[in-house]
Amino acid sequence: MMAERLKKNRTRLIVLGILAVLFVSASQGMSTEDWVITVMRGLAVGAITFLVAAGFSLILGLMDVLNLAHGEMFMLGAYIGWTVYVRPDTFVDALTPLLLLAAGLMLMPVLGVWLGQRPLPGKVNQIWPWLGLAAALALLIYALRQWPLAMWNPGVFAESPATFSLAMSQGTMQLPAAAVATGLSPWLLLMLLGLGSTLLAAALVGMRLRGQTAVSAPYLSKSPLILAGGLALAGVFIFALNDGLTAWLYRLNHTALFALAIVVATAVGGLLGGLIESTLIRPLYKRPIYQIMLTLGISFITIELVRAIWGRPEFTMPKPEMFAGTGAGCGREVVSIVERLANQCATIFLFNGRIRTYNEIFIILMGLIVLVGVWLLLQRTRLGMIIRAGVQDSQMVEALGINVRRVFTLVFSLGVALAALGGVLAAPSIGLSNGMGGQFLLLALIALAIGGLTSYPGAAAGAVLVGLLQQFIIKYGQLGINLPFLAEPFKPSPPLVPASTVLFMVIILLLLPNGLFGRDE
Amino acid sequence: MQSTIPPTETGREALRLFKENRGPLAMLLALILFPFFVALLDGQGPTAVLNNEIGNARFLQGLLIEIFILAIYALSYDLILGITGLLSFGHAMFFAVGAYLTGIAFKSFGWGVGPTLAAVIVAGIVQALLFGLVLPRVKGITFALVTLGFASVFEIIVKSNEMVAYTGADVGLQGVVVPAAWLNTSNERFRLYLIVLFFTFFVYLVYRRFVDSPTGRVCIATRENEGRAQMLGYNTFYFKLTALILSSITAAMAGFFHTVHQPIVSPAVAGLGWTVAALLMILMGGIGTLSGALVGAAIFRLLQFYLERWFGGNATFLIGLVYVLLVMFVPYGVVGTWQARRLDIQRGRERLLRLLHLRP
Repeated sequence: MMAERLKKNRTRLIVLGILAVLFVSASQGMSTEDWVITVMRGLAVGAITFLVAAGFSLILGLMDVLNLAHGEMFMLGAYIGWTVYVRPDTFVDALTPLLLLAAGLMLMPVLGVWLGQRPLPGKVNQIWPWLGLAAALALLIYALRQWPLAMWNPGVFAESPATFSLAMSQGTMQLPAAAVATGLSPWLLLMLLGLGSTLLAAALVGMRLRGQTAVSAPYLSKSPLILAGGLALAGVFIFALNDGLTAWLYRLNHTALFALAIVVATAVGGLLGGLIESTLIRPLYKRPIYQIMLTLGISFITIELVRAIWGRPEFTMPKPEMFAGTGAGCGREVVSIVERLANQCATIFLFNGRIRTYNEIFIILMGLIVLVGVWLLLQRTRLGMIIRAGVQDSQMVEALGINVRRVFTLVFSLGVALAALGGVLAAPSIGLSNGMGGQFLLLALIALAIGGLTSYPGAAAGAVLVGLLQQFIIKYGQLGINLPFLAEPFKPSPPLVPASTVLFMVIILLLLPNGLFGRDE
Repeated sequence: MQSTIPPTETGREALRLFKENRGPLAMLLALILFPFFVALLDGQGPTAVLNNEIGNARFLQGLLIEIFILAIYALSYDLILGITGLLSFGHAMFFAVGAYLTGIAFKSFGWGVGPTLAAVIVAGIVQALLFGLVLPRVKGITFALVTLGFASVFEIIVKSNEMVAYTGADVGLQGVVVPAAWLNTSNERFRLYLIVLFFTFFVYLVYRRFVDSPTGRVCIATRENEGRAQMLGYNTFYFKLTALILSSITAAMAGFFHTVHQPIVSPAVAGLGWTVAALLMILMGGIGTLSGALVGAAIFRLLQFYLERWFGGNATFLIGLVYVLLVMFVPYGVVGTWQARRLDIQRGRERLLRLLHLRP
């Protein structure tokens, strides 16, 4: 039995063995502190790559959708997290319209039943959703343009995101003046927004009903009504308490604010994912290749939106206080890790190597938490069981009477939420730029190819391998490698870093076409 | 047996061929006459086209040459993805090898057009064989990733500082001088226009013939169900390899014309974005339809050109929006959807004519 398993996985074991040997010999040429730093950095890159790769692989496995917009969702998470963290006033201002919009969309199931019971004559039925959609969009755009929103301005340097980031990291952040409504009264705008969102929901429902011939009368559940009412109320309350809430958020310490940023970015990612799946991707399950075009279109649109709102230049996101201390108690003489963590130092010493608490320790920790959390979700819950079964054969699961379509939406939403979480976690360490999405999507693809495309442990292992490889090559680019036939140490130039990970992927795939952990198709 | 066919039979055969290809032939004729037409509209005489005078006609010829080159490139991608069903993310390499090889041969080695063309074709075969090496080993999306790997390695070599003397690294290959005066795009534009146009037409006809040939039929069978094709006794590997070689040579030729027309080769043509461009072109036109690739290339370039001209910085956003809308409302690409809905469209036209009292 054992021998048979060994024989079956011979190539896999040999590859793993060679990797271990390479790893050990790669670390031989370095001092311990370099080694520790490189390994920690590699693991941190791996953790972020894993967050992108895990969602991508779940979506690919369950629905066979190659979500090329996944990197942009990662980027969006970072930018939304930055907004909540650095400009809470903008966040509070923007929350009300968003909540009203969400409330309107929540009404969709109720409206579906209501409209379904009142069939309109043929022509009207065909045309009104379009008119409704146009009217709703016009109403929403009109109301949103006048909505009082205190915001940065990427075109002016003194008001650009980079300036606000700098002010925050230096502790000179002032509460910007609250935006004043021009034109219509904000309460009237609130009503317009509510009306517009409801009309939008009705128009979207109407579009869906167009194609149906038979009138269905499904069970009318009250919960969407209650939820929508709650959301709308929350929106109105936040609007009424706007100034107080903003002032409170500004007084909050940065660590708590950062926690809020993480929660908001993840939640927005989840909602966005659900919305994209249920409206755009769902009609495309029958023609898979066109999903690529759709997700590419979404990714272009997202990048351009981010450029329009936050500007093209890169900027940083300050680290929360808990990981930013440099003053008293953080000097070279304090060695104890516990003491340094208690003093909220930015760095700790591990085997004499200087490790940054946020960039390495915190990110790796969060990666591990998500790894275990999603693993528990997949292994220990009913939903996880359905997902795992669906990855193997979703038609079979559907045949067993399980609503796979709803699970599709959930998984897409989960995947995008994970990517957004990765984005907001990565932002303080690598900064925010328009290209970060594509960069990490490529890394995640490589990681998945190495680990096995639809395997969850594969995503983790591949991400860690890619992260380590990348960081070791970068380190050797600085140190130089002593190759036997060269007089001077060989220093790989910066472009060789992506090449090395890609080559590594090609070699692994040629040896193991299904990756390290993939199943045979 | 061939000799026993009477001459009248050959005539009938030619007539049939002509009738079958009426559409493409009409298109070819229209495109040959197009520059003259534009020149007339502009108030220039028809001789302006032949004398290479500055004006709209000359400018539009340049734009059309770009579209033809893109069309050749898109056709080559349609052959392996749409017809044979091989998803490759490394197709940009096929094009970029042709483009860079041409540029380097002209600029650094001072080769003539003939040897360069030969080298481009050989390079096309060699890189198809390189992809063929991994073909039996990896399938589906893994093949796409491995080819992406190859293309990335090529892109990195092209961009690396070690090769700067030949490739110009990040800046790209600049100042390529085409050694043949008769192929010069600024002095002999109409001639180049005709050459590229006829080459596009030729490639299209060859591809149509290939798809209708027994080999092409097996390629389609491989796309639909590889296991079943193997069951029937076909060694699908050779068919896929044939398609790859044909596609690679075509794409490299597109790269050759690209360098001849625009004496600058940017490293962008070696990147993943360029493969994605080909993918978008055939998806917009209609995957697996061949003529869709031509339509898609035209839509792709014209959208890009005119949206950038009219909206400047917002162009990319609008292009993204157009992609999403196309996916939603033109579900199988322009040609694909037209083929699927031909009857509906015909019925609609009849009704319109009846409404206008043009037909009883």
